[in-house]
Amino acid sequence: MEHSLYNTHVKLLAFDLNSLTQTSSSSSSDPISFSRNGALLSRAETVGTVTSRDLKPNKFLRFTIDDGTGCVSCILWLNQISSPYFSRRSPPDVRLIAQHALRFAAEIKLGVVARVRGKITSYRGVTQITVSDVVIERDPNVEMLHWLDCIRLARKVYNIIPHSNK
Amino acid sequence: MASSEITSGALVTLQDLHPSSPYFKQGASLRVTGKTRETFLSQGHYCRVPVSLITYHFTQAKGKSGLHDYSVETAIATIVDGSERLKINTQHLRELSFRVGSIYQFIGELLIQPDNEAVLQARMGRNVDGIDLNLYHQSLQLLRQFQADHLKKPAT
Repeated sequence: MEHSLYNTHVKLLAFDLNSLTQTSSSSSSDPISFSRNGALLSRAETVGTVTSRDLKPNKFLRFTIDDGTGCVSCILWLNQISSPYFSRRSPPDVRLIAQHALRFAAEIKLGVVARVRGKITSYRGVTQITVSDVVIERDPNVEMLHWLDCIRLARKVYNIIPHSNK
Repeated sequence: MASSEITSGALVTLQDLHPSSPYFKQGASLRVTGKTRETFLSQGHYCRVPVSLITYHFTQAKGKSGLHDYSVETAIATIVDGSERLKINTQHLRELSFRVGSIYQFIGELLIQPDNEAVLQARMGRNVDGIDLNLYHQSLQLLRQFQADHLKKPAT
């Protein structure tokens, strides 16, 4: 399996992201691995309209990004203060992460166009993004540029990596 | 709410929405873009027009449409792109303010009426003034070609 894109936030259109191959992995931290065209992926970036928003205060915000080719399910965790997952990290760091997550959650409103980055994960078999970063886009041409970026990267980089490195 | 419950609004131009188009289907989820124009008023319709807004709140008049008198209130805007136009039902977009001549993008489901006229039941809407519509149309063609190529040869 090709690893050169593993730590890159790959720009994928929703229909492409939702058709990634999911494989069970022996790793306890990443029980499912994701690949596209033989390349192992772990992070993704998407841009689109927020079309659903489900907030569980102090737990998570689940929302949907519609980029016109499909919908991407996103989860933004808001439980950093209470979660044992963060108990080994320094309290100031955890507070900072929690503050950022709360700000992102407030910015994600129905109808806004958001650029979301995060880890590719799976929930009930459906590919989703576990969000680490959110930028609200106000320029109405940004979505088009994202489509063109995705097309160019797929054709020039993502589609050819396995063949050039095998 | 899982993404599987939300249908993506397929990117279409108003030119795509002719009766023989694959997008012209009852309940189709679509994303449309166009400039807002004044909506024509039919005789017997009552109209309240807040200053600078073009969301018209019609009360269907008795006998005109066959509906019960004064029982249905809608909020219809019309968008145009070139010579094409489409009615948008904006009743679920109460927080969106409209300006005549501005460009808006709507996501929603197509309702095809018995007379074959389509109205998009919008669930999302935003002002996209500043959008380059020529670039939008060209990008859309490239995107459709890319999706068609991908379907022929999936990259999974």
